[in-house]
Amino acid sequence: MELVAIFISAILINNFVLYYFLGICPFLGVSKKIDSAFSMGLAVTFVMTITAVVSWVINHWILIPHELDYLKIVSFILVIASLVQLVEMFIRKISPPLYQALGIYLPLITTNCAIMGLALLAALRDYGFAETVIFGFGSGLGFTLAIIIMAAIREQLDLADVPAPLKGPAIALIVAGIMALAFMGFVGMIK
Amino acid sequence: MKLSTRMVVVLTSIGLLSGSFLATVGHLTKERIALNKQREIEEAIIQVVPGTVSSQRLYEERDLSVYGGKNEEGNLVGFAIHASGIGFQDKITLMLGTNTSLERTNRLAILDQKETPGLGAKITDRDSFLKYWENRDCSGTISLRKPAVSAAEKLLPSEINTITGATISSEAVLSIVNSSLEQVREIIKEGKLSSEAQDVN
Amino acid sequence: MSTKAAGQEFIKGLWDENPVFRQLLGLCPTLAVTGAVINGLAMGLATTFVLIFSSLVVSSIKKLIPSQVRIASYIVIIATFVTVADRFLAAFFPPISKSLGPYIPLIVVNCIILGRQEAYSSKNTVGRSLMDALGMSAGFVLALLILSAIREILGAGTFFGYQVMGAWFEPWIIMILPPGAFITLGILLALALQIERRTKSRK
Repeated sequence: MELVAIFISAILINNFVLYYFLGICPFLGVSKKIDSAFSMGLAVTFVMTITAVVSWVINHWILIPHELDYLKIVSFILVIASLVQLVEMFIRKISPPLYQALGIYLPLITTNCAIMGLALLAALRDYGFAETVIFGFGSGLGFTLAIIIMAAIREQLDLADVPAPLKGPAIALIVAGIMALAFMGFVGMIK
Repeated sequence: MKLSTRMVVVLTSIGLLSGSFLATVGHLTKERIALNKQREIEEAIIQVVPGTVSSQRLYEERDLSVYGGKNEEGNLVGFAIHASGIGFQDKITLMLGTNTSLERTNRLAILDQKETPGLGAKITDRDSFLKYWENRDCSGTISLRKPAVSAAEKLLPSEINTITGATISSEAVLSIVNSSLEQVREIIKEGKLSSEAQDVN
Repeated sequence: MSTKAAGQEFIKGLWDENPVFRQLLGLCPTLAVTGAVINGLAMGLATTFVLIFSSLVVSSIKKLIPSQVRIASYIVIIATFVTVADRFLAAFFPPISKSLGPYIPLIVVNCIILGRQEAYSSKNTVGRSLMDALGMSAGFVLALLILSAIREILGAGTFFGYQVMGAWFEPWIIMILPPGAFITLGILLALALQIERRTKSRK
């Protein structure tokens, strides 16, 4: 597959949140304000791109050559967990303002299935190095796009008269469903 | 024991136990998983190249493999082209059977697809799509008949009926088939098709 | 442990603390694999297997693990059982393994499992942890079955692959597509909340 196709597909067509259902927890949890949604999106995009690089290196330099396929899940999850810690320490050292903006979101990312999903999907699809990186970056942007749209809708939703049992996650899920429906309009555009 | 030593000891032993346990599990299931994959390919070859009893891989690159199907006497009865490309939603992987001169198709099988259920996913359905791929003239490029016609007899020998409501998926399959046929002809012309074929594995 | 208490540990997972409907945990697999009942069931059973064995191991070695490294230890233990489930499905049920794709390995980041280790198994006896794991798994399987039954029946007219709707029924394809997953779960959550409000106001 061409790189451009992978990139567009990751953002719009096979969107991580709206098509693969990955990263639902932060998508519902951190989408009440546009500002925080934007920061969360940035943090996820950042970590996803790095994870794409690292997981590819582990998979192709260590696991595949030594036929250690059965250690894939254990090694990916451990690497992602420690990677997020490292990124957090690194950002705190290098750029305090960026840390201020992303800080509280970074620990949340460890348990974000989107990151693990990215590493697994890239391995499953047998992507090359460049493809994996583009896939990681594009998927992060796709997540950012979805969470920002969601936050914008929810800010408006605060003013709406939502029936009591639907308040909170229920209406958020239904809004997500309508967004997924809208995103289905992009399907086929790379063909 | 000091706390830090205890932490290291505990984590290392958990890691070692888990690693050795998984090595055992991995070892026990490895053959079976490989066998499942091999069987999937073999069954698809038998399906698209009728009369095949054994098959061999003749060529392999990313997104394109060519297999040769042989009958009981060991003569080549046809090629099976295993190819994938972008569909409407995601990658489509298919297997096309042709005769030995690459001029007629035998059958087409869709091995993997994520097209829209009920619409594009009809590419896996024999009656609405796959039957039109049987015994077609593929010496040139195959084309789609749009809008679809009601009876197969109305189609030209090199035409395929379109799935109503899923033109893009039909076109996707068509373009994967046409481009892989072209590639295979090129491979044969350049003499890259391995003569000392390896067994499928 | 009395039988009554043990029963209580089990029952709470079904409704009062149902991981999906009440705690909103494990939503990714809940949405992703419930297009067909068979996939929902396979996912539920795989998660059950991982949760039960992780809880058994964690509750039996809880005293050995220093609290500073407990999360890392839990993750390794969970990942080990997830790998076992993944390899088992790939070896013996290749079609299911293929259609669930990356979602079986993703059980490792299912918050239900790590959550129960942290909140329950690390503090309770092996027996109680087992009951808790069984209850939570049953609640999770129940949620997956309800969601996948609704989606498969309306979206394809079938249940477990068998035709249940007559020929007059035109399948609502949207139900087995991603939007159907979000909307159905949204409505079910609202329903669960409404039932809870009713029972509370009656008390």
